[in-house]
Amino acid sequence: MPSKKSLHIEASGQLCIYCGACVGICPLNCIYLDETRITFDEKICTRCEICVKACPVGAIEIG
Amino acid sequence: MVQDQKTDVLVIGAGPAGTMTAKWAAKNGAKVMVIEKRQEIGSPVRCGEGMSKEWLTEVGIKPGKWINVEVEGARIFSPREQVFEINEKSAGNEVGYVVERDGFDKQLAIDAANAGADVVLKTAAVEILKENGKVVGARVKQFGQKFEIRAPITIGADGFESQVGRWAGLPTNLALRDMDTCLQYRMTNVDSDTRYCDFYLGKVAPGGYVWIFPKDDGVANVGIGVQVSQVKTTAEARKYLDDWIEKHPGYAKGKKIDMVGGGVSISAPLKQTVTDGFMLVGDAARMIDPLTGGGIANGCIAGKICGEVAAQAVHKGDTSTAFLQAYEKGWRARLEEKLYRNWLAKEKLCTISDETFDKLIDALQGVKLQKLSVHNILKAVHEKYPEVTKEFEAFL
Repeated sequence: MPSKKSLHIEASGQLCIYCGACVGICPLNCIYLDETRITFDEKICTRCEICVKACPVGAIEIG
Repeated sequence: MVQDQKTDVLVIGAGPAGTMTAKWAAKNGAKVMVIEKRQEIGSPVRCGEGMSKEWLTEVGIKPGKWINVEVEGARIFSPREQVFEINEKSAGNEVGYVVERDGFDKQLAIDAANAGADVVLKTAAVEILKENGKVVGARVKQFGQKFEIRAPITIGADGFESQVGRWAGLPTNLALRDMDTCLQYRMTNVDSDTRYCDFYLGKVAPGGYVWIFPKDDGVANVGIGVQVSQVKTTAEARKYLDDWIEKHPGYAKGKKIDMVGGGVSISAPLKQTVTDGFMLVGDAARMIDPLTGGGIANGCIAGKICGEVAAQAVHKGDTSTAFLQAYEKGWRARLEEKLYRNWLAKEKLCTISDETFDKLIDALQGVKLQKLSVHNILKAVHEKYPEVTKEFEAFL
């Protein structure tokens, strides 16, 4: 089984505008938005990359 | 250690749908608590700020300082930028105000508080409490402390990125085609016209549109929505919007003073919005109009019904799914037919070419529509381009 890639979300002041688009589309409900922080549950995330497409500013990078 | 709390009705989220629900539940005699994770209601704004106005009296909202501009109509621009104008007479319900959303949300929170609801800030739901399959409140986090708020009725009004609906067991998942990814700049020194909200259709915004919602003093909200299933690379909403601005000198000369992003659902209505002890309302319940992307009116209209049913359920001591059908049936009777019809229209519009868009708008030049409806539009188009209407036979 291939190992899961790491999923990195750009930090405050860089690209993320904390809009919640990724949170709403995540099919596994594993992304969380505080006022100025986005976190995700590494154990649940399958790296489906839907959030990457949903992000209006390209803040989510999987690499 | 903060003590656990009790209330009759717990509303999660103090956006328009949440505070409207809270207001009508409180007005009908229930003890209501509405919790909001942010420290300030309505801020930061995540909205294009255009709204229709004919529904405001229905839910008891009085016009106030939150109105920035009252527009006369809307202009739809085809890909080659021929204009079709919709005015208040032909489309009364779709034109209205460009608002200060933060002020609007605050006014609704004031209305809820004045009706007797408690508005509790800086308080986020972290878990839904269930007993024997029934929702009995939420575990919340406030200033770093976790505690429980127990209530016979819990309402999820936590917006597009709703989690409480899913926690409560209601499927609210969206497919890629069911969502537009949106970005907007507030710009100053632009050539917007305060008489009109403008919409640009076609490949400039696949599966969505570019909008110009004018504010006073040469300021406008310039934004875009793009269907996520049509996104090919990253940051596409921004690229499409920047391209559009660059090609329009009246906006390219402007300065950006604010940036807003977000997701908008463009799905068909959900099959289920209630379960034992729980109701879902507003954007969280995917009540956004899939054609226009507007969510405020529907959220408030459903919120009123939700609040009334919540209070009745508390009085009767019956918070079962069966009793809460009054809300499920109530909001569907008021909103579902239009939501479904607009979803069908949107599904079709997502597939048509720029050439067809151009023909549709061209055929409407000089046509006086008595009432704006898909049927009337297609009849007018049929006179000039019968071959175009073949694509739309299902709507005739």
